[in-house]
Amino acid sequence: MHRRTVVTVVTALAVVLGAALAGVHGQSLSGEYKIGVLEPLTGPLAGEGKRHLEGYEIVRDMINERGGVMGKKLVFVAADAPDPTAAASEANRLITREGVKIITGTFSSRLCGAASEAAARHNVIYWESSCVDPRFNKRGLKTVFRTEIDATGFGWYNIEFIVKYLAPRFNTKPNQLKIAFLSEDSSYGQGVTESARARAKQEFGMQEVAAEYYSFTSINDFTPIITKFKQLNPDVVHHIGYTNDAPLFWRQAREQNFLFKALVHAGATGYGSPDFGKALGNDANGVFALLEPGPGFRLDALRPEGQKIEREFREAVQKRTGSYPFGGHQLAGGGLWLLKVVLDRAKSDDLDKFRDAVMSLDLPVGSVINGWGVKFAENGQNANERVQHYMLQWQSGQLVTVWPEEFTTNRAKWIPLGAWDARK
Amino acid sequence: MDPARRLGRAQIDVLAQLGVSTVLLGGIYALIAVGLTLIFGIMRVVNFAHGEFLMLGMYVAFWAYSLWTLDPYFVLFVSIPLFFGIGYLTYVLVMRGVIHASHNVQIFTTVGLSTALQNVALVLWTGDFRTVRPWHSSVVIRVFGTAFNLSQVVAFAIALGLTLVLFAFMKWTHTGRVMRATAQDHDAATLMGVDTDKVYRLTFAIGIACVGAAGALVSPLYAVYPTAGLQFVLLAYVVVVLGGLGDMVGAMLGSLIVAAVEVVGSYFFGVAWKEVCYFILFIAVLVFRPAGLFGQRGAETLGV
Repeated sequence: MHRRTVVTVVTALAVVLGAALAGVHGQSLSGEYKIGVLEPLTGPLAGEGKRHLEGYEIVRDMINERGGVMGKKLVFVAADAPDPTAAASEANRLITREGVKIITGTFSSRLCGAASEAAARHNVIYWESSCVDPRFNKRGLKTVFRTEIDATGFGWYNIEFIVKYLAPRFNTKPNQLKIAFLSEDSSYGQGVTESARARAKQEFGMQEVAAEYYSFTSINDFTPIITKFKQLNPDVVHHIGYTNDAPLFWRQAREQNFLFKALVHAGATGYGSPDFGKALGNDANGVFALLEPGPGFRLDALRPEGQKIEREFREAVQKRTGSYPFGGHQLAGGGLWLLKVVLDRAKSDDLDKFRDAVMSLDLPVGSVINGWGVKFAENGQNANERVQHYMLQWQSGQLVTVWPEEFTTNRAKWIPLGAWDARK
Repeated sequence: MDPARRLGRAQIDVLAQLGVSTVLLGGIYALIAVGLTLIFGIMRVVNFAHGEFLMLGMYVAFWAYSLWTLDPYFVLFVSIPLFFGIGYLTYVLVMRGVIHASHNVQIFTTVGLSTALQNVALVLWTGDFRTVRPWHSSVVIRVFGTAFNLSQVVAFAIALGLTLVLFAFMKWTHTGRVMRATAQDHDAATLMGVDTDKVYRLTFAIGIACVGAAGALVSPLYAVYPTAGLQFVLLAYVVVVLGGLGDMVGAMLGSLIVAAVEVVGSYFFGVAWKEVCYFILFIAVLVFRPAGLFGQRGAETLGV
């Protein structure tokens, strides 16, 4: 190495080190408040992880334009968590080296458990914005909070939609409705399906005609299942699928002329993925998927303060990415905004004060980004009925918001679905 | 209609549909398994990268379709020579070095190759799920209460044709006879003046050409993504072991048996049980008939 290069490197190191030290000491001096952001930025989950980081950054800038948090400028230390081991070790590093008192992240259900466990050991607040693993807040930890609903919340909403919206339009009482459950067998599919099954049966007495699980990594043919379902003749098929199996099921259901009244899915994979529309074109018409708000979402249905922040959020996303917010932006951005709301109230990152502020929050639906409201339970989970979710439907190659009706300008079509060739 | 009569008719339709599904799914498994059984049977190499060559075959069909709207059946004519070349190169560059090494080394090599190919696909084409939608993939044929997809029927017909051609090639041509001789006794074949290296090169190239063709044929039916091969490769092993290594007709029959177990198991016990069903069959065959259901030549060199 040349001497000059060595000098440059050493100088650079000294500057970085000095800045880092100043950062630690200077949290109160320079008026910055630092939090850790943990997302998978490399590896197979990176695409969605980067979108989350983008969502956080957009809302961070919005927060700073509005006075920051606790009177300080909000800054991030971002760390890469491609797998659970890295998630735990990076969480440790953020806490011990960077001295953060709050970590937010990590989107994947594979990562949030390990990362939050590491944070809990240091008594550091863990603010999760999107993982849906139901076990996340069932560990008795006082330090974990989740703004998004979990997989069981998806099941809750799907049944809500079937009972409140579909059943009256089928002229059927919920307890006369025949429902067939089909799902891939990961913790996501099982979480959604089992909570939907329990609610359908216990609360509404629906008639469950089948509950089938399969592995999405090895399913090559749905015709045996479709043949069986045809005989059972369900009104509603509740299918939680991934992106290779959902198009296969739908294509084969069409081939077998399997007629039912509605198919309901939840989440951004499978029927909720843009790949589904690409795979099937107009044949996709009629499928329902529970997601964050999409095209057709009515701003004026929100409360005034919610309208304002949602409009500003969309404009900020539009400015940065040139498009309507994706799910990742909405979950990360919505989650970070709530953190600001809590910090404004707690005026401290002291765990007890922070927790009291979280628990005392009580905002109705329509108050913040995504039209959400807030009411946390003791286990740190935001309430299902406050984290408003929306039913989207495939209509002519596009997923559009159709429910709840007060939130959208679009209306659901093909209820009941009718013949396969008649859904144009 | 009289409910009792309708029930009877419905039951017949169900059985007919299950039968049709078995045959067509079996056709897809056979397509993938013939190349594998050839390589496995003659070279005694466990090619764990077989599924990745299938995936590459699917991507070739996908790009040809999305860039130039070429039908996968047309792509077939390009894919077969292309994958013959890829197989040939893979043998020369990778497999030749480990062909006389222990099975462990071969397994590590092919597993490594498989992971490398998956990641190359991931880097080049991202993890998105792509689809090929030629006109025939949405044509549905309905016969007596059963329904099936035109692309699947074509895939089955070509699988059947390919199996027969390979069977005839192995049985009646000189090259086929040399290949079988090498499989039966590598050393004796060398003593008889057979260039075994050439035989292996050819075998690997033909095997990969078959799976490249399979990739084009299944592309209208399944999503194309970097780990698409994993969906089928374990199954192809079950098929190959069931049918007997290196036995083309055995692979066809083995595919039909696996498909029947899968379809019937899914219908009567639930889809969750399908893998339990056919892996029990797999283990039973290994325990009771290690040479495959139909027996095979040269089983002793496998040490099974």
